[in-house]
Amino acid sequence: MLSQAMFPWLLLTAAFLFTLGALGVLIRRNPLVVFMCIELMLNAVNLALVGYSSYLNSEEGQVFAFMVIVVAAAEVVVGLGLLTRVFSIGRELDVDDLDEMKQ
Amino acid sequence: MNVLLAILLILAAISALGVVFSSKTIYSALSLVLTVALLAAVFLVLNAQFLFVVQLIVYAGAVMVLFVFIIALLDPAAEDRPRIFDLRLILGVLAVAGLCTAVFVAARNDVTYDTSCTTQAVTCMHGYTVGSLAATGDNTADPFHTFGFPENAVNRAGNVQTVANQIFHTYVLPFEITSLLLLVAAVGAVYLTRRVAVGPRRDPQAEERWRDDLVEGGE
Repeated sequence: MLSQAMFPWLLLTAAFLFTLGALGVLIRRNPLVVFMCIELMLNAVNLALVGYSSYLNSEEGQVFAFMVIVVAAAEVVVGLGLLTRVFSIGRELDVDDLDEMKQ
Repeated sequence: MNVLLAILLILAAISALGVVFSSKTIYSALSLVLTVALLAAVFLVLNAQFLFVVQLIVYAGAVMVLFVFIIALLDPAAEDRPRIFDLRLILGVLAVAGLCTAVFVAARNDVTYDTSCTTQAVTCMHGYTVGSLAATGDNTADPFHTFGFPENAVNRAGNVQTVANQIFHTYVLPFEITSLLLLVAAVGAVYLTRRVAVGPRRDPQAEERWRDDLVEGGE
């Protein structure tokens, strides 16, 4: 069980991982790395959920973290499928170039 | 156990830095594998054995292998490092520091969840099952476990059994809906990666002209 002394540090780590992932999404230009940073954010949320689950003696956080893992797996499958499609039509892998939706 | 948890959390934070600030994509992927494995170890320390196994199999096993496979397939070029005094980077680091400080201070002062949530409120929220559980457990002594769950209720029958009980009884409908989500994702991935004609559409007239030119050139 999670002790009361360690709980703020666990939340701090979760917040650090989440904001680091958000920072990576904003400053990196390779879409593969952007996906990895999104995975990092989802993992940070899972860490916070499991930490709360352990701290509050409730298993519902673990169930929700399980759902988050499922959603993350589905998102990676679709995202990487999109990236291979973008690459196969001869485009450069750079998120600054992929702006057709804006026009 | 606290020391082990602290070491794991620090290592996870360091390897997460590697994900964001590596110039090569494959280094980012390997750092993410390390982060995911360390978080799985944290789950094990926190008595979430089911999530530990799922994290290792799904993330470190399936998702990261897919990432490395796509990196090998696409071979993205190394990205030049962001400059140290880039305005976006400075703002981002400030945002990271600010949010982390806010969360830490909030967690230290116990405002991250409602401590006034009593057993009665939990009974209203979760229905009679949890309420009856709470009635059997003695949770009045510890002010930090006023959430209605008795001590070690989660691990009374083993973590996997408890989580399975939740998934297949309380949350059976969301669990079934995730199967629909996975089906849609699989169909979408197959649709996106099917074989398509590469390059401009073929023009039969132009092809004929090209063949005529070739015949004339041969004569």
